[in-house]
Amino acid sequence: MELALNKVCKSYGDLKVLNDIDLQIKEGQIVSIIGPSGCGKSTLLRMIGGLEKLDSGSIEVKGSVPSDCLNPLTFIFQDFSLLPWRTVEKNISLVLEDHKLSEKKKKDIIGSVLDRTKLSEFKKRWPRELSGGMKQRVGIARALAVNPSVLLMDEPLSALDSQTSEILLNDLVELWEKQHFTSVYITHNLSEAIRIGHKIVVMSRRPGRIRDTVSIDTEISNRNLKNAELEEYLWSLLRDEAMEAERELENG
Amino acid sequence: MDNKKINYTPIRFRGGGFHHKNNYWISPIVFITLLTLWHLGTTSGFISNLVLPKPIEVAIAFHDLHITGDLYLHLGASLSRLSLGWTLGTILGIILGFAIGLFSTIRSGLAPIVAAIFPVPKIALLPLFIIWFGIGELSKVNLILFGTLFPTIIATYGAIDNVDRSLIRMGQSFNLSWISIARKIILPASLPAILSSMRITAAIAIILIVAAELIAAEKGIGAYIQMAGSLFAIDRLLAGIIILSCLGLIANWIIGFAERKMLKWRN
Repeated sequence: MELALNKVCKSYGDLKVLNDIDLQIKEGQIVSIIGPSGCGKSTLLRMIGGLEKLDSGSIEVKGSVPSDCLNPLTFIFQDFSLLPWRTVEKNISLVLEDHKLSEKKKKDIIGSVLDRTKLSEFKKRWPRELSGGMKQRVGIARALAVNPSVLLMDEPLSALDSQTSEILLNDLVELWEKQHFTSVYITHNLSEAIRIGHKIVVMSRRPGRIRDTVSIDTEISNRNLKNAELEEYLWSLLRDEAMEAERELENG
Repeated sequence: MDNKKINYTPIRFRGGGFHHKNNYWISPIVFITLLTLWHLGTTSGFISNLVLPKPIEVAIAFHDLHITGDLYLHLGASLSRLSLGWTLGTILGIILGFAIGLFSTIRSGLAPIVAAIFPVPKIALLPLFIIWFGIGELSKVNLILFGTLFPTIIATYGAIDNVDRSLIRMGQSFNLSWISIARKIILPASLPAILSSMRITAAIAIILIVAAELIAAEKGIGAYIQMAGSLFAIDRLLAGIIILSCLGLIANWIIGFAERKMLKWRN
């Protein structure tokens, strides 16, 4: 499935958050969006996922949805959003329960996503018993369970320590190689964006606008962890914005 | 360098205190000491028999209650009023709390009324209820129902207001139906607050039933205490009070048990 954003604008009252966002996301492509805090990147993602209304402009999807896809636009959240009163497997079953699936089919799906996210032995655990990385694995497994066309990831690794996020990032890359999903990946971490994105969108501070778009041709699987030159360039774009954005918050 | 002596001193531990240790043997000792003091005070004549009977007399009063079957008569009357009124009030309160918590129209209509009735001491309604429902069971059951209803409503919709919005957004992002979000996300998230309001309403219900029975009843723990008081039978009066204490403890224990069963995901 492809996504097309046309002149998307959004304000909260007098506060203009997003201004004229144009963006194309092709089938099987991962687009990373980076920007200073408060630049509206999460708002943009929520609008793509239909959780927030746009003021003007349009967001459209193109292409057919496979018949076994239960929820085309699926989120992976920064805070994991697991239900603490459900075990790992029940958290995943939550998103299948509203669909007409046989018990066996549900069990198969849960088994398969737990296996793919290396969680099989933790399926009876409560979320509070899991580490942050494990919790996010459950979040990823839950998203995979509905077989999404587009994965919307809102800083999925920001709540994790850097070692854990490194491991999970590699796992995400591995998952993408097995099944080329379309994805929008929001982050404030430059190296994460470079590691996983086919295209990197740099946003300005509020009101968020697209400052630059960089395409990376190297295959995702062949990328080095460090791409100093590109990182340097992206940082040069972001540095002033980030400093300004920080001062903005301090001034209220 | 080598023969220069450095004096190492161990670092003093200063992180202790400010946390509780369970000393299970202390409370029985305190209890037995108090009982002994009571016994000694009353037998020696230091405490007048008009103020406090001997502990053994209270025990005898209990024994009599048991032998004559009065214990079961009074306890049965109080318990049936309590359980009926409290259960109905709680169920109705949860239903109304959910309605107020989930629907803006119902909230706009009912929340001000709830807020207006909530602070009224419910015992003040007893004369009115006696006129409306008669002197019998109905006025007492309704009084308890009313007394538990409002705190339950307020606790329930307060809990719903505090449900983590991001969990609701998560449910919506997976296209969960409205009823699924209400049943699988909002209900379990508000359950801890609802259960802790049950502790409070159980205490309120016991207060109300005793007050109602003190004023107008032939049977019930409150009526028994009232009778004992008017006969200056302090031994029986104290027996009645001990029964009330046990009643409160048992109610608390039952709710604690329900919490451990239903909220085992917490710890």
